[in-house]
Parts: sequence; C-alpha cells; structure tokens
Amino acid sequence: MPVILARIDDRLIHGQVTVGWSERLRPDRILLANNAIAADPWQTKVYSSTVPPDIEVSILPVSKAAASLAAPERLDEQVLLLAGSPEEMAELVRMGVPVREVNVGGLHFGAGKREMLPFVYVDHQDLKAFARLLEMGMSLSAQQVPGGREYLIDQEQIQEMGEKF
Amino acid sequence: MVRALVITHGGIGEELVRVTGMILGPVPGLTAMSNDGKSAVDITAQIKQWQVEVPDGEGGVDSARASKLILLDDYGGSCATSAQLACGQDPDTAIISGVNLAMLLGFVTWRESGDFEELVGKVVQKGREAIILVGGR
Repeated sequence: MPVILARIDDRLIHGQVTVGWSERLRPDRILLANNAIAADPWQTKVYSSTVPPDIEVSILPVSKAAASLAAPERLDEQVLLLAGSPEEMAELVRMGVPVREVNVGGLHFGAGKREMLPFVYVDHQDLKAFARLLEMGMSLSAQQVPGGREYLIDQEQIQEMGEKF
Repeated sequence: MVRALVITHGGIGEELVRVTGMILGPVPGLTAMSNDGKSAVDITAQIKQWQVEVPDGEGGVDSARASKLILLDDYGGSCATSAQLACGQDPDTAIISGVNLAMLLGFVTWRESGDFEELVGKVVQKGREAIILVGGR
C-alpha cells in the first residue's frame, strides 16, 4: 500500500496528524508502528479513539508494521505511517517499507537532548538514526504541519549537530 | 475542595484560569498546563505529578484519593491522550473535553457543594449551554 507520509513524531497520533496532515492528505489508514503501545490494549484503545471515524487505524509492533504494508488485500490503501523515534523509522525502512522521503514532525525536549531545529531535539541515538536513513537513500525534512516551514536535514547538519554534544 | 487541571494547547488554559480569577477572585486548586514543547511522555508524567500534589492548606488530605477534574481544549490531541493515559482509569478523576470560560466559572462556583458526579454533570451542561448562536447576521 502506498505510504503517502512517513512521519517521525514523539506525540504519535495527535492533532497535527489527525487534523493537519489528514485533512490535507486524506489517508485511508493511519499506521502507528510502536512496540509498547501495540502491546498494551488500554493505550491502543486510547490512541485509536483519537482517529477520525472515516480513517482506519492500525497500531502494530515495528516488526509487523512493515509486513502489513505489503499485505495484498490492502494494496490500494493510502497510508500515513507514524513512528515515535528516528530509530524506529530507520528500522521500518531497513525492513523494506516503501518510502523515499521521511518527515520529521516533532521530537520534543527531553533528558540528554539538544535543539537541532525549533521542534526537533535530538540525542546521539537520534542523529545516528537520521544518518542511517540518509544512507538508505531517504530524503529527510522537518515540517510540523502542511504549509509550515520545511527544513531539509542533510549529513553535514547531522555531523555539525553531533559535534555540539 | 475539588481540584481541577486545565490542559490545553498554547496559552489557552493559562488565560482561561487567569480570567476566571479576574471574575471570581482567587481560585486555589485551579491550575493550567500547556503541552507546548513537551513530548506525550512528559505531558503524561506532569499530569500524574499533579494528581498526587497536596494543595496549599490541605496538608492532611490524601490528595491522590480526592475527586479531581481535568478539562481539555480538544479531544484527539496530545493533551487528551496524555490525560487518558495518566488517569483515564482512575475512579477519582473525571476528564471533560471542550473547556470554555463558562465551565470554569461554574466549576469554581459549585465545587464545594453537592456530590462529585453531580458537579461533573453540571460543568458539562454549563459548557454546552454556553455555546449560543447569538445573532448578528
């Protein structure tokens, strides 16, 4: 199934996704790849309940998310793919998820993280995963919402950011 | 005293709480929280922290077991999801989405009388009644 947006966002399913991008892109399905939420029925229920009724939702472990995108019965679906971290997105791409571009939608401040862009705070692990995504042929750009400012992320910026730690 | 936490995007909650105080006077136990710059994990942790806070002047009260209200600006966003993850299964906390000024004025006015279920019902009703097609066209 075609992935119309592959997004890294530590808020996972929230307004920028269910309203901002979904109103613009009209996905048939939001697929959240997250091991912890997929393993917890309560969290799965809470996150699923926030998706508008005209959009299907799947919350799957990272390892199953890639396979579900290849399911023949869903080849026509337009999918908005979400991961909570660069590392999880890199793993999805490594497993063959059919994307060329990755949207970095939001990585908020946390312990050990530093500001890379106004809405992108990273640590070493995040930078390594960004570099892996670029090495696997992805283009990386940070943009919170449709029409919002877009920042391209390249190897040079990743290296410069790494030197700040 | 029933406490309430107003969780919103941007500065909406802080302003609602400030204006409630302007109209009714000091409003202890009515607090605002913004999701600005915070991950879902951090918002959830802050809500859990609020749940167990002991309000000023109520040192002996087991605050975690007291009735509490969470008011949200919009269902479906990170505020609502975090509120549910933090206390959606807590029998002592009610979560209401769609907060407006009338609800806060009603909450502060009624929170010390009647039972908690009744208070929750009245706050929801007040919020709905405050949406009025006034005219002007």
